[in-house]
Amino acid sequence: MNTLTDQQRREQARRRRSIGGVVAVLVVILVVGFGVNRLRDTSTDVNADPAGASDYGVSMGPDDAPHTVVIYEDFICPFCGELDAAAHDRLTELAEQGAVLVEYRPVYYLDDDYSRRAANAFKVVLDAAGPEVAIAFHHELFADQPEESGPVPDDDWLVEKAVAAGAEESAVRPGIEGGTQAEWVQAAKESAEAAGLRGTPTVLLDGEVFNDGRTVSELADNLVAEIS
Amino acid sequence: MKAWSGLVARLVVGAVWIWAGAIKLPDPAASVQAVRAYQLLPSSIVATVGQLLPVVEVVIGVCLVLGVLTRGAGVLSSLLLVAFVVGVASVWARGIEIDCGCFGGGGARAGAAAAYPWEIARDVALLALSAYVAWLPRTRLALEDRLFARPTVLTRPDPGPHPHDLTHDRGAPR
Repeated sequence: MNTLTDQQRREQARRRRSIGGVVAVLVVILVVGFGVNRLRDTSTDVNADPAGASDYGVSMGPDDAPHTVVIYEDFICPFCGELDAAAHDRLTELAEQGAVLVEYRPVYYLDDDYSRRAANAFKVVLDAAGPEVAIAFHHELFADQPEESGPVPDDDWLVEKAVAAGAEESAVRPGIEGGTQAEWVQAAKESAEAAGLRGTPTVLLDGEVFNDGRTVSELADNLVAEIS
Repeated sequence: MKAWSGLVARLVVGAVWIWAGAIKLPDPAASVQAVRAYQLLPSSIVATVGQLLPVVEVVIGVCLVLGVLTRGAGVLSSLLLVAFVVGVASVWARGIEIDCGCFGGGGARAGAAAAYPWEIARDVALLALSAYVAWLPRTRLALEDRLFARPTVLTRPDPGPHPHDLTHDRGAPR
């Protein structure tokens, strides 16, 4: 009973052709749209100052190390805390061996009061007590990172951490309580944004954005493996 | 009746897809970041998924709203929504707090877990509508009825022994 007339057969062929045509058009739209989006994706276009050459960070390791790593991090960002916990000790070791020059660039990226005060304290400690103490302070802050949802620690807590890292209390308390490095904090943020920073943590290995890792700890493992 | 409710389902799900995709199109980097924040996909394909997803969303949405390749779009829509539910459930289970990035945004956000049940409920509701569209052989006001006209059954020489076949043919699955 399903004998088709010639006309019906022709209509069916036409129907198949038009479905095929629409599918082809959609595939072209998908491919072109994907290609355009790929070109417009700026995630890996971070043109930051090379490691060791920024006014907004602190470095460890020799200037002529075979690899450089820059880590942009926000003191309140949980992934930054995870990254520091996973990578800091191994990066320190590699820097001591001369395998890498690492620069940490604290940036107040999230609009957060603690983040800003912590970045200010970092600069105060760096100026008052030098890079080694500043790196230790930076690590202390991440090791004891407050929850993003609060409650956030006060300035006394920041002073305590600075002292624990090796700074003189009298040298850092006024700067931490007075927010004396607010301009530096703002300039660091603007410099990072001008470089094309899209978020924190952002890791640059030898100047290129390093994203290789499903999780933060995988990223840390892969980063260390690349350097070692 | 079903054909009309199918139209409503198509329009609702389609509009949501267009909205979700269009809002992400201006900023592919944010879309990539939102995908990465799930910490679920291998890093080698994160960028591709983040760049492709908004385009796919808009295309599926347009297909559903216009009623072109409706059933295929319904199936794809269902599959994507299953993937989204799995994604949100997975970050929830692992205790990761992120903006789901469903309608732009994305990345870590404190207290985001409170929204997970709602996001899953919304996706499941959209999934049910998508599956319904995929299951229906036909919906009203579909452009494909004009684009891909079927051979007219009325010119059939022998209508066969069951006259009611004719009236039900319109609704038969392809």
